Amino acid sequence: MNPFWSMSTGSVRKRSDTEEKTLSGELRTSPLRASAKKQLPSIPKNAVPITKPASPATSSQSTNGTHASYGPFYLEYSLLAEFTLVVKQKLPGVYVQPSYRSALMWFGVIFIRHGLYQDGVFKFTVYIPDNYPDGDCPRLVFDLPVFHPLVDPVSGELDVKRAFAKWRRNHNHIWQVLMYARRVFYKIDTTSPLNPEAAVLYEKDIQLFKSKVVDSVKLCSSHLFDQPKIEDPYAIIFSPWNPAIHDEAREKMLTQKKKPEDQHCKSMHVSGLSWVKPGSVQPFSKEEKTMPT
Amino acid sequence: YMCSQVLATGLSALYSSLPRKIEVRGDDWHFLRREDWIGVSSLVLFMNSLEFCNAVIQVAHPLVQKQLVDYVHNGFLVPVMGPALHKTSVEEMIASTAYLDLFLRSVSETALLKTFLRFVLLHRHDNMTILDTLVGRINSNSRLCMVSLSLFRTLLSLNCEDVMLQLVLRYLLPCSHVMLSQKRAVRDLDIYGKTAAKFLSLIPRCCRPESPPLPQDRDEEPPSWARGHGSPGADAPPAPKPSTPSRLSFFMRQASAGPAEAAAPRSPGPSAGSPPRPGPRDEVAELDRNYLEYLRDARHSIDRCAWACRVWSAPYDGEDPRAPGPAPSPDSPPGRPPGPPTPRTKKRGLPEEGAREAPGGPLRGDEPGGGGSGPEPRDGGTLVNGAHGTAEPGRPEGDVVVKKVRRSPQGEGEGGKGALNGAPRAQPPGWEPLPSVDSLLEELLARVPAETPGAGVSIETFTEELREIEAEMQNGGVGGAPATSTEPPEPPLSHEEEEAFASFTTLPEGDAGTGRAPPRPPDPLAQVVASPPRAVGPPPSQPFTGPFVSVLFGKLENMPHNSLYVNFLLTGLVAQLACYPQPLLRSFLLNTNMVFQPSVKSLLQVLGSVKNKIESFAASQEDFPALLFKAKKYLIARGRLDWAEGPGAVPALRRSDTLARSRKPSLGELLLRHANSPTRARHAAQLALQGLRDGGLHPLAPPARHGEALRVRNAVYCAVIFSEFLKELAAIAQAHAVTSPFLTE
Repeated sequence: MNPFWSMSTGSVRKRSDTEEKTLSGELRTSPLRASAKKQLPSIPKNAVPITKPASPATSSQSTNGTHASYGPFYLEYSLLAEFTLVVKQKLPGVYVQPSYRSALMWFGVIFIRHGLYQDGVFKFTVYIPDNYPDGDCPRLVFDLPVFHPLVDPVSGELDVKRAFAKWRRNHNHIWQVLMYARRVFYKIDTTSPLNPEAAVLYEKDIQLFKSKVVDSVKLCSSHLFDQPKIEDPYAIIFSPWNPAIHDEAREKMLTQKKKPEDQHCKSMHVSGLSWVKPGSVQPFSKEEKTMPT
Repeated sequence: YMCSQVLATGLSALYSSLPRKIEVRGDDWHFLRREDWIGVSSLVLFMNSLEFCNAVIQVAHPLVQKQLVDYVHNGFLVPVMGPALHKTSVEEMIASTAYLDLFLRSVSETALLKTFLRFVLLHRHDNMTILDTLVGRINSNSRLCMVSLSLFRTLLSLNCEDVMLQLVLRYLLPCSHVMLSQKRAVRDLDIYGKTAAKFLSLIPRCCRPESPPLPQDRDEEPPSWARGHGSPGADAPPAPKPSTPSRLSFFMRQASAGPAEAAAPRSPGPSAGSPPRPGPRDEVAELDRNYLEYLRDARHSIDRCAWACRVWSAPYDGEDPRAPGPAPSPDSPPGRPPGPPTPRTKKRGLPEEGAREAPGGPLRGDEPGGGGSGPEPRDGGTLVNGAHGTAEPGRPEGDVVVKKVRRSPQGEGEGGKGALNGAPRAQPPGWEPLPSVDSLLEELLARVPAETPGAGVSIETFTEELREIEAEMQNGGVGGAPATSTEPPEPPLSHEEEEAFASFTTLPEGDAGTGRAPPRPPDPLAQVVASPPRAVGPPPSQPFTGPFVSVLFGKLENMPHNSLYVNFLLTGLVAQLACYPQPLLRSFLLNTNMVFQPSVKSLLQVLGSVKNKIESFAASQEDFPALLFKAKKYLIARGRLDWAEGPGAVPALRRSDTLARSRKPSLGELLLRHANSPTRARHAAQLALQGLRDGGLHPLAPPARHGEALRVRNAVYCAVIFSEFLKELAAIAQAHAVTSPFLTE
């Protein structure tokens, strides 16, 4: 999964068995792979590149209490750090990528692998307020309004606010929003819905609800190959399976073990030294002959 | 094997013929470069021999290898090198230290290097390890100090766990230097740049770009960031993405509110072709550009270091490895707070042993007595600063407890006794008595009620229904976890994930940074308060962060009186240290929110004291702005000269780049662009200064009163270096938060 900034290296998770199966099945049979046309970078080795905020006017002075001229760096780096946290989180089936134009806009896609929304592939965009982290919680808008009690049937916006009534720096992070976005498809909440119809159907007529969901999932899938809603070089784009491109990539993904060395050896030759036996705090406690090179 | 023995004894014989005293070229000399020793025949012989040893070990059978290595240790290092390092004459100490440094840099075979390191770290001469002796010498007067600093630069550059363990980490392992309640904050990352802001705020007022009248025009200066991110140069860290300089330039342009120059600076190469920025240069923009270079370098250094350290045996994150020594006292901590653990930490369990009570262990009760090493002043004047500069009003985050533990001025600088250049020490004025520990406690108490708004915050925004759910969920699902009474058709969310979700939606306190850091206890304040004696009482054994840190801090505190060269090396070494990614070390140096034990001095305190000294000096020196300007100007001027003519110190590409532009770079550029590492840059600037002096261009030396002139000169140069150093540290602090998880996983 590495080539795709995977947040779900299945092996990490407890339930990875079923997940893995589904995942690889998806890979093999489905053309719906997240194969960004613009070659996604092999891996975010360091982090996202520095980008500029979306709205030029207000961006630079958003961090309060900081040396004014350095403010922009704080915002940029905060967002970089947020992205790093997302990567660390390894959310199953959730992928994001900051846009080319603004670090405050992230493109994403969620794969739903179980439940009512199974097989759903929902593209979305996260909008981070430019006074982050001191502003409201980020907004998350699905490209297509998924039929869901918490998704606005017109705008496609997910009701994120209910989970993050007040965005608290240090406490709240963007990965939590992503986790929440995934979660709503597994745990349906019908209270104060943005889509009352969905809520009512879910409560009163689950069968109809289900069929509407299926329709919605299908609709999203049928639009999967559409041009991205927002023109951006880093927008997530799906394309039909093309063996010439994808076979090799898939092969790589399937065979690639966790060998960070491979990815980094070109750029970094440095290796540290250690003769400390694991668990010990004595220097040179490791037995001879097990020296690293 | 005879030959092994011959080789090793040969080394000894050759060593004995080495010059006892190194002919010194300038007072900035601090380590042996190839061009230094290539002309000294005895050294050449020795180096050849050492190289031969190295080569033999490379190809030899393991048995031969081991034998040879043992001979080197027992036949050369212990009987010859050991005594040589302990000669009583300073000149000989300087020579032997420089030799050792040279050897360490020259040895490439791991086995041989191990022998050398084992000798340095473990061998005791006169009941002192070589390491401690060398550490102590950092405290000595200029030349020996510089040579010793160079040696440690070499040692740190090895990224060797054993070295770092002995130098620093073992003193930090018990976590006795932090307040108990802070222990789990060790792994926190500062993702909002607060630490950086803190460091930058320490730039003395007199050095802020807006204050001094700098007539220097910087119109011509190409934007440095074009180089920084625009080109995937060989020296750049692995480019995370296809380079997109235009975005950056766009951002920078608006950020600096600069003139609307074209978004053109996507120069392919190092800025050579960048269009000059039109219009008057505002210093802020200059700072920004300069700072971006620091950011880039910091990223590069940290990545390198993190990558190198992946071979280490443990992460040193406060949990692993645990401090050895007596078992933790059972009554230790006020206990783990309730509240759901986060998925990624619960299994590991948070060590709650009252580590700060763990005595002995690796803790050394005292400093190396001899060798001129001055202990860190642990005076009784320690006070707690009640001011909470970085605390955000009304937000219950991790940095609630941000009191900076400060030291009273009386105590500072004592550590650097031996190192003063005979100059009187400027006593910082304007130090006011700081609130005591008690007031800290009071303040904590006062804030407790206000700081537990977790529930309140959410309740007001949630519906009745959610409150019911809240009741269902443990600890109240205040975050509005959209759990429904209806069972989901399938259980597709892992238990872990549920817990994680619950944790961030319910706990009023969150971790301050990483996703894997544990959540704070619901109220760390309460924790502190709940155990006042523990939190503020004098610890059983004074926590001590080790002689190395102590000596470095002492020397840092003395910065205004150090020579420029010492300061170059010193700040470089501290920056090197700060790049290590181990949470224990990182948090100690860079987490400005951490509350340390009162007896433990923080880097921030030390820097704060330097800031005060510089400011008071500037206030006392009428022509300070002019002097500062001169210092910068000459540094830059000589830097250019050095680039053009320097003895191969500059990569060709950069040099031609330099020649191509007949413009004045900023000082920061001088320091940074010169090489890819700030350390080398420092060295370059150092060369520049040497030339400056030799060439009679001395900017700051009035004809008479040499001592006074020296004092002034040191202080002015210190002001320049100190400001750059703070930027460097700030950049390092920021870069830590974005280190790729792939580097360390």
